[in-house]
Amino acid sequence: MIARHPLASWLLRRLLLGIVVLWGAATLAFIALHLLPGDPARLIAGAESETSPAVIAHIRAEYGFSRPVLVQYGIFLAGLARGRLGTSYQLGQPVSAAIGGQLWSTASLALGAAVIGLVLAFALAVTTAGRPRLRAVTSTFELVCISTPSFWVGIMLLTAFSFRLHLFPVIGNSGISSLVLPWITLALPIAGVLGLVMREGMERALDQPFALTVRARGATEHRLRLRHAVRHSLLPVLTLSGWSLSQLLGGVVVVETVFARQGIGELVVNAVSGRDFPVVTGVVLLTTLVLVVINIVVDLLYRVVDPRLRAVRP
Amino acid sequence: MSARKQAVAGGGPVRQDHAGGRARPTRPILAAAALLLAVGPVAACTGSAAATAAGKSSSPVSGGTFTYAIDSAQLTLDPGVSVSAVTGFIDRNIFDSLVVQTGPGSFGPWLANRWTVSPDGKTYTFYLRSGVKFQDGTPFTAAAVKATLDHIANPASKSAYAISLLGPYVGATVVNALTVQIHLSSAFSPFLQALSTPFLGIQSPVELAKPAADYTPVGTGPFTFVSWPQHQDVNLVRNPGYTSPPSNAAHRGIAYLSALHFDEVSEDATRYGALTSGQVQGIEDVPPIDVKTLEQTPGFYTQSDFLPGLNYMLFFNTTSGPLADVLVRQALSASVDVPALVQGLYFGQFKVAEGPLSPDTADWSDSASAALTSYDPAKAVKLLEEAGWTTIDAAGYRVKDGQQLNLVWPYPAALNRQQRDVLAQGIQAYAKKVGINIERPTVDLGTLVSDFLAGKFDIADAAFARPSPDGLRFAFDSTQTYAKGGANVVGLDSAQVDGWLNAATATSSPAVAATAYANVQKYVLANAYVLPLYTPSLISGYTSAVHGISYDAQAYPQFYDAWLSS
Repeated sequence: MIARHPLASWLLRRLLLGIVVLWGAATLAFIALHLLPGDPARLIAGAESETSPAVIAHIRAEYGFSRPVLVQYGIFLAGLARGRLGTSYQLGQPVSAAIGGQLWSTASLALGAAVIGLVLAFALAVTTAGRPRLRAVTSTFELVCISTPSFWVGIMLLTAFSFRLHLFPVIGNSGISSLVLPWITLALPIAGVLGLVMREGMERALDQPFALTVRARGATEHRLRLRHAVRHSLLPVLTLSGWSLSQLLGGVVVVETVFARQGIGELVVNAVSGRDFPVVTGVVLLTTLVLVVINIVVDLLYRVVDPRLRAVRP
Repeated sequence: MSARKQAVAGGGPVRQDHAGGRARPTRPILAAAALLLAVGPVAACTGSAAATAAGKSSSPVSGGTFTYAIDSAQLTLDPGVSVSAVTGFIDRNIFDSLVVQTGPGSFGPWLANRWTVSPDGKTYTFYLRSGVKFQDGTPFTAAAVKATLDHIANPASKSAYAISLLGPYVGATVVNALTVQIHLSSAFSPFLQALSTPFLGIQSPVELAKPAADYTPVGTGPFTFVSWPQHQDVNLVRNPGYTSPPSNAAHRGIAYLSALHFDEVSEDATRYGALTSGQVQGIEDVPPIDVKTLEQTPGFYTQSDFLPGLNYMLFFNTTSGPLADVLVRQALSASVDVPALVQGLYFGQFKVAEGPLSPDTADWSDSASAALTSYDPAKAVKLLEEAGWTTIDAAGYRVKDGQQLNLVWPYPAALNRQQRDVLAQGIQAYAKKVGINIERPTVDLGTLVSDFLAGKFDIADAAFARPSPDGLRFAFDSTQTYAKGGANVVGLDSAQVDGWLNAATATSSPAVAATAYANVQKYVLANAYVLPLYTPSLISGYTSAVHGISYDAQAYPQFYDAWLSS
């Protein structure tokens, strides 16, 4: 019944595909963690620890590291199928709680940066597309944004606005004021890339015959850009959304370190180096889920942005 | 106001370097495996709480919140489980120990009023202070001591560090409410020192009975744990019922500070900026290059203390490869101008090391350094030729039997701190001058552990801070191999060295121990098992409103006597 509705059947197919993607991601995470060199029991105890062989043996037995890898994989999948992410080896708390506790810090950082990056890119593209002199200035700015390491940008912003001007707190996890500098640090490289891409799309649109037609109808330059050309520039931005997400995730690790913020970044770094399988898997699955959802939403948005696609059966 | 104070410390416990910074957070304390860490130096233990107060000393004021930025993260606050030095540092404020280290080899009463040791050194009897309560209201008794030690010894607790301090612990017997006997399987002279560390701080048995996920640190100390939001900042408040300061504290009764906050800020520049912009009142690990600047800034001062224990050193794998030949090891030692490198890189904040032990460690041997093969490039060349590395290839490296003189020194970037990567580049450059090629492949921790287990390396680097010469046993006793959880990665297997170490551990005579430890120090230098590099110091920075910081034997700041002026 549902399947007869084209959009519903499309959604259903995408959701099923999403589950396959999640399984693939979990499997890859499992393989990658088992391919990493080193004895996991020792790393869980702490690579630098001088812990006793009895403790190592206990860890090995408790987490079943001496079982065949395929058996471990089976147990792992069975747990996931029942929705159990397990308990962190290092933190002693359930993975859902470990991730949940850090989620909002990272989400507020990443979402804010994504919004700022988009707005900045939009403003740059709309105001400079087809205007060679302005474009020369802003494309330099964009290249600088893309090529400067976030680490350095963060330190420079802190030095100027926190150490010297005292406008924002140096450290802290609370309130908007502690988020401003991290947002900007994280948003700049995204704004740089998206700005370049959007302008390129707009310029191509402005060169097309329909732009001439719109102008001939007497539309103002603003109307032409905002009403007609922007849509064309949005398509590549949607296409790049997966890239943007990975950029954000990679960036938060650095930004969280520089600004002494707690979040998923540090959780993952600790978990990987400590072979905390359950936490790593949990974060991988969460990230994959976000990616799957974003891709579905983006595919829907294509149809909103580009009326030409609406006629086509999904 | 901005004068640099050299504080002194009373003896203490153990510590290993923190893994600083961005690195994983985590872990630190340990040395064992660690060979990577460094740690350091020592406090000159003066026994007292000595602490040098900062700033002018007028009379202490009660109240105020003190915020201190630490540089590394931790995975648990349970001192009996944690692998991180920083956990011991924070937990020191929450937990009291049975005894306090008051000098390199001396101990005073704390939660134990007095103690006796059986003639065979295997049984310690502690007579406990009465009327002490844990922060949760539970009375402090012999049962709590037993519960704490058993908790650490239980493999299910997964103790990463404290269990190594317990040594040959067998069990404890509650004789009566305020008397506890601790049984060891063999005499173990570092035991009192181990008990004085925060890692063996006495915990509330009620808390230990809870599952690990619900654990909160509850002790009898001057500050009570409040919260650890998102596993980042640790918040403590003054314990209003505190009655049990150590015998060397500067005052009695409750602490002056009404609250203590520890903020985790792993990036050096951010931490430094947080201090200079007034957001925190104290930071740990001021980068050596910033020390002078901070001292010259009105309103701030620094305090530093050299860490006790094993210096930061290169450990040579003598079981295989070119370094199995003592002549090559001595040549490498002679090829590097360590004093020039250390002075140039650390601006005098870290001390050039001339032996395996930091000079502030008990039984440090002044004369051992004579056995060190120090900088002499001509001698290095002579030694290499004597060892048969006579030809030089097109790349400038020495060759023997068709093999280039290559040494592998794994570089675990995650554990890098104190600019050791830069120091290593200097060492590589000096070695190259005499024809030795040192390679530094970047490895992750897992690879490092595997390489150590398989002996697939020529050079390792580490330090091990602990105010006790027992680190020598850990690094050089033939039973302390890496596979068994020890730090003997050099492959030293000498009945003579084992004999000295056993004698030092088992004896009750300080003179016998001193001689035995001196022999070990001399032996490892003469045979070039190690190349000592530097004694690190723990450099803290404070605003001038902070007074009364004291230092324990492991060179960590103590906050019980600290106070804030307005």
